[in-house]
Amino acid sequence: MLFESFKIAISSLQANKLRTFLSMLGIIIGVGAVISIVSIGSGAQMEVTGQIAGLGSNVINIMPGGARMTGGQLTARTADNFTPELADYIHMLSPSVQNIIPQIQDSGAFTYRDVRVQATIIGTKPAFQEINLYNPSAGRFINQGDLETASQVVVLGSRLARNIFDGEDPLGKRVRLEINRRVLLLTVVGVMEERGGNFMGNFDTQAYVPFSTYTQKISSTQNISQFLAQARSADESREAVAQIDYFLSTYLEDEDNYMILSQEQILDVIHQVTRTLNIMLGGIAGISLLVGGIGIMNIMLVSVTERTREIGIRKALGAKKAHIMNQFLIEALTLSSLGGLVGTLLGWLGAFVIASFGGWALVVSPGSVALALGFSLLVGLFFGLYPAYKAANMDPVIALSYE
Amino acid sequence: MMQIENLERVYHLGKANVAALKGVSFNIEDGEFVAIMGPSGSGKSTLMHILGCLDRPTQGRYYLEGHDISKLSDNQLAEIRNKNIGFVFQQFNLLPRMNSLHNVEIPLIYRHTRRSTRLEKAKKALERVGLGERLHHKPSEVSGGEKQRVAIARALINDPSLILADEPTGNLDTRTGNEIMKIFHNLNQQGHTIIVVTHENEIARQARRVIRLRDGLMVGDEVIGSAV
Repeated sequence: MLFESFKIAISSLQANKLRTFLSMLGIIIGVGAVISIVSIGSGAQMEVTGQIAGLGSNVINIMPGGARMTGGQLTARTADNFTPELADYIHMLSPSVQNIIPQIQDSGAFTYRDVRVQATIIGTKPAFQEINLYNPSAGRFINQGDLETASQVVVLGSRLARNIFDGEDPLGKRVRLEINRRVLLLTVVGVMEERGGNFMGNFDTQAYVPFSTYTQKISSTQNISQFLAQARSADESREAVAQIDYFLSTYLEDEDNYMILSQEQILDVIHQVTRTLNIMLGGIAGISLLVGGIGIMNIMLVSVTERTREIGIRKALGAKKAHIMNQFLIEALTLSSLGGLVGTLLGWLGAFVIASFGGWALVVSPGSVALALGFSLLVGLFFGLYPAYKAANMDPVIALSYE
Repeated sequence: MMQIENLERVYHLGKANVAALKGVSFNIEDGEFVAIMGPSGSGKSTLMHILGCLDRPTQGRYYLEGHDISKLSDNQLAEIRNKNIGFVFQQFNLLPRMNSLHNVEIPLIYRHTRRSTRLEKAKKALERVGLGERLHHKPSEVSGGEKQRVAIARALINDPSLILADEPTGNLDTRTGNEIMKIFHNLNQQGHTIIVVTHENEIARQARRVIRLRDGLMVGDEVIGSAV
């Protein structure tokens, strides 16, 4: 019986091909929009999440100042409190923190022969490499020995190295660094791998010197730009943040004197933003599905009226209400699920095109496909119900005499 | 097989009530061949709808093989139409997109008969009306007389005790009409009760009994000696 109804539905949809297509269009667009939007959303999110994970493993940034310091000057007290020793205290009192290093930075200019290049100079410690998952492609990074002897060595970001040496092998070369009205001669001991830029800055145009070299030979002040901490694991990231927060709020006596930013928090923000976007776009897609459903209802009502005589004949031949009801419901469902299938294919195609332009992986979750198809079936059922009910309850005598 | 007692049918058209049947009574026995005659507006279509269980009387009783039709639900009436009654209409009332076989099998679909059985029975019914060569033709591809034969095959498919024909020759030329009437005679001889509604004397004369209606009342009930 169901199979018969399905066959009848197919043949009546085939009889009006253009009309069938037009009435499916709403569903096609709605479902296509859901599939492509969800896919584009999750593809972009994966891309950004991947970028953030690439910044390092479980990195926590601790900066002086905070909410109140928007473009203003740091109070002397806050800046004075951010000392290398503070990093050691944090490390001792925060069991979830695996590494913490102070970082100090300023801009300077390298000169090699007649080439002069501006760069950001960062005073840091060996753990920087591990925290940022950032390795040298040639030579080595700053090591413990450099730190103890405050040796005059430098490790260059990949692009910086290219800009200064222009194809020459930088390893072992000596470069002149002008910074903070001082001049130093530094030996290049390493070049870092390509990292690329992201919203946190560009590692490739920075230069790294031992923290001790920086504090003893470049800057007399001990003012730290930020601490770079690493949680023991991703799972402990939240605890690490809480421990650091607790310690600093006690030690600095004011939560506005510092700011903690963990990868986790950045990810949370991104997840929230994409979630909001998804809900909004999903809502729009939902509305177009609704409109599609109304289109189906409209066409089903037309179909019921057109086939009044057929309904009369079928009733005269013994069709019960349920038979007629099923026939038209199945027709509506066929219409909407066909629209859903076509929409899925189109949405998939759209997501594929946009993903290849955006340069991220195509992610079409089975969940979103199931949701869109399920929803279009529901729309067909809901909007097919009234026309089918109308058909089922026709008076056979009136239906038979319908011209 | 049928008892009709004081049958009335009133239509409510807006505020006016129109009585199409004003109290009609008669019995029809198994195996009869009856013509119901009358001019248009006499109530014969209304009577046919009630006899065919497509409609219910406003007043009076109609017993079909012991069932009191006025007390049955819509679905029960559908079941009786399916099993006990075969309809033949003036307009043929075939479904245009289906071929003869599929048109004829429709009543079996609503009895949930298996597909292979349905097609087999439909083929046999079409052969019975001489259309064994037209199984896969659509209604638009056959003549008027052949359409009516398809309709008769469809009426026969459930082997109903009653065949109700509403002006079955109204859209056919005389010769074809006579052929159709011949089929009814054969079916009558095989034991089917036949009721033909018509306004043509020619057709009515071929029945064994003629019931005449006028203005919603029965004005004649005569038995004609013999059929053709």
